[in-house]
Amino acid sequence: MDPAAELIDLLGASLVHTHPVDRLIYAKDSGVASGDPAIVVLPGSTEEVAAAVRIGVAAGMPIVARGAGTGLAGGAVPPPGSLLLVLTRMNEIHEVDEIGRTAWVGPGLVNLDLSEALADRGLEFAPDPASQQSSTIGGNVATNAGGPHCLAEGTTVAHILGVEMVTADGRIVILGGEAPDEPGYDLRGLIVGSEGTLGIVTRVLVRLIQRPPEIATMLIVFDDIHTAAQTVSDVIAAGLVPAALEMMDQPMIESVENFAHVGLPTDAAAVLIAEVVGTAEGTAVEAGEIREIADRNGAREIRTAATDEERALLWKGRKNAFGSIAQSAPDYYLSDTVVPRTRFVEVLDEIYAIAERDGLRLMNVFHAGDGNFHPLVSFDASEPGMTERVIGASHDMVLAAVAAGGTLSGEHGIGLEKRDLMHLVFTPQDLDAQARIRDAFDPEASLNPGKVLPDGARLSERPGR
Amino acid sequence: MTTLRTATLRLFERLRDESGDDEGRFVVAPASMEEAAGLLDVAAAEGLTVRFRGGGTHSGIGNPVTADLVITTSRLSSIIDWSPGDLTAVVGAGLTVDELEATLAEHRQTAVLPETAPGATVGGILSAGMSGYRRLRHGPTRDRVLQVTMATGYGSVVTGGSLVVKSSTGYGVPRLAVGSLGSLGMIGVVALRLLSRPLASATVAVADAPAALSEVYRPIAVLETSEGSFCYLAGTEEQLAAQTAGLAADGVPGLAWPEPIDHPIRLSVRVPPAAVPETVSLVRELDPVRWVAEHGVGVVTVGFEELEDSLFGDLRSWAVSRTGSVVVLEGADFIGDGVDPWGKPPSSIEIQRRIKDSFDPSGICNPGILPGGL
Repeated sequence: MDPAAELIDLLGASLVHTHPVDRLIYAKDSGVASGDPAIVVLPGSTEEVAAAVRIGVAAGMPIVARGAGTGLAGGAVPPPGSLLLVLTRMNEIHEVDEIGRTAWVGPGLVNLDLSEALADRGLEFAPDPASQQSSTIGGNVATNAGGPHCLAEGTTVAHILGVEMVTADGRIVILGGEAPDEPGYDLRGLIVGSEGTLGIVTRVLVRLIQRPPEIATMLIVFDDIHTAAQTVSDVIAAGLVPAALEMMDQPMIESVENFAHVGLPTDAAAVLIAEVVGTAEGTAVEAGEIREIADRNGAREIRTAATDEERALLWKGRKNAFGSIAQSAPDYYLSDTVVPRTRFVEVLDEIYAIAERDGLRLMNVFHAGDGNFHPLVSFDASEPGMTERVIGASHDMVLAAVAAGGTLSGEHGIGLEKRDLMHLVFTPQDLDAQARIRDAFDPEASLNPGKVLPDGARLSERPGR
Repeated sequence: MTTLRTATLRLFERLRDESGDDEGRFVVAPASMEEAAGLLDVAAAEGLTVRFRGGGTHSGIGNPVTADLVITTSRLSSIIDWSPGDLTAVVGAGLTVDELEATLAEHRQTAVLPETAPGATVGGILSAGMSGYRRLRHGPTRDRVLQVTMATGYGSVVTGGSLVVKSSTGYGVPRLAVGSLGSLGMIGVVALRLLSRPLASATVAVADAPAALSEVYRPIAVLETSEGSFCYLAGTEEQLAAQTAGLAADGVPGLAWPEPIDHPIRLSVRVPPAAVPETVSLVRELDPVRWVAEHGVGVVTVGFEELEDSLFGDLRSWAVSRTGSVVVLEGADFIGDGVDPWGKPPSSIEIQRRIKDSFDPSGICNPGILPGGL
């Protein structure tokens, strides 16, 4: 029996797609690469995922899982001939434990829907990637997603206590759980950020945190991007841990303001969005200290959001940064690198120099407090040679970050995009060890093959050497 | 040891730690990761089993291990790189927690490692996967481990993770290393994310620990112990004043942690946080010498002079029925005629076994120490 027929038996014809148009819809994520799945299915339960995996494996098909497809590194791009599992139907909140502050949810649940559903219980899910209106928890797990509020709370891995997962041989295992420190290796920790290559996550146990009683959000305006960056370094070095510390440069401010009309000063060289949360007393003190540091660095203006509406407006500006680009150019390339926070200013200068050298239109929005860069080049891909130039420049920006002791990705993942750059930050022995981990989970390399690790990462097939 | 070739013996002699070992085993102290990997390479080729040792404070965890050789981290014990502005530090695994924290305090920073583990090394804490009481607010130790360099059971030096505070770059080798109890190789160098020490802190005695947990906004820890219940707060003076206003009693300044539990039998009961109050009731009935329950976290550490295996079995069954576990941290041999320190292996045991086999193909690194005899 051919796998498509088996899958139709399993799920019904309406949830199994083989038509070229349907396959095209799911051929790529939000990055540049594209693939071509042979079969696209939309399972609705763990058992259906497990059965679909068994059918795919028996047919020798590569198996790729996908959520909303907001990833930028090509992690969800299905190779030719693959079976693509779209998990967006598995979007339930199964159970919430208010005392333990945890919830079991489906991988297809949209990030923002989770926090909104929990708001009236005074709880929230801390990771808040800019894509949170559409990205799914499963996708957040796959990429170890970040977001502005990971500065104080840590990235997704700190908020995933357990997963239920279908293994490469179609079995169901639970890793981690409500009780802390499950005996044995922390496989849960390996799954987060593994980009769908170790198993297919079918339920996620998320950690929830108390919503803060008080939030103070400030917009700090600078006439010089260096003093803005210095302010960030000084805040971190002073030991303050704001909930978020975000930065946008002038071209990005202008783009966002033209799009979202939130009242940003378009002539400013840079703005910081600093947010402190906690008790009223705590936030007042912390906000005061940040203001003082900003003043000392010559901030032109400091606005504090007086109402929830004003606060929402400030964040609307930040979270629409990427969406705003469409007005100025048909295409953009967004990169993601991290540097030690003390090297931030120096790498920033290098990134601008690279864009200027190549005559590219660069705008920047950063998770500055984490040292996480998101240089964004807007361009027109129909211009001959332009895409190559942009990718070349972005590559040089990654090199600059790595030379400063940084790494390839802070929150987008490696996927296809940076797989062949892994040797920049890891030795052949390091990559071999990572390949051993992958092989332990998926000996036949069925799950999302070709992602994360470069070809030949496993130094020898012979165990031991 | 007679199987060693002369050249190998010379290498071992050069690295030999003269301080020796209570059980008379050969003790070597490599001074670099390359030496550690070289030793493991030789040990693998010769079929010599190896134990790793830091401060020896957590050596009672896991199934008993017989080993031909002990490799200590005593010569890998320096602060290699500390960047206060980045709030990161790179240290040798053999550095003691006390020494690290004392140094970090110079810049009002902390690695948030366990508060009461005298003599414990950073590598030992990581290897045993132990977290301190501040976990309620700051998360487990493993969430602050940015990078790990280990000498693997197949004799390779491997670094995983990145020396930045946020990364989604490759597989989480550090997450695998934390809690692996030396079963994959030796953790030699680690990079940690640091936090600032709070300007002010207080310990407040409370009558009802679960109530304190729900009423106070993000306390550092809420502990219920054999000596009473305490809520731990940290922040600025103003913050503390506001937080203690919600509690009945005034606090005393500083964080007064319970004395370490160091009785012959030591258990770690791990349950969902919501099940802590019930666990406390059960533990009290067993008449322990001392115990500390971490509300909101789900860990209850209990010390006994002696414990019947049937009572232990009841406690374990109950924890398992709540999706938790009871891990014997010390003294599994003294509970009745001896008990399994871990209990039933997790459902992922096959994957766990393949990982063990892949990182330690000759089966020489702390063989059998993990659940399921891995």
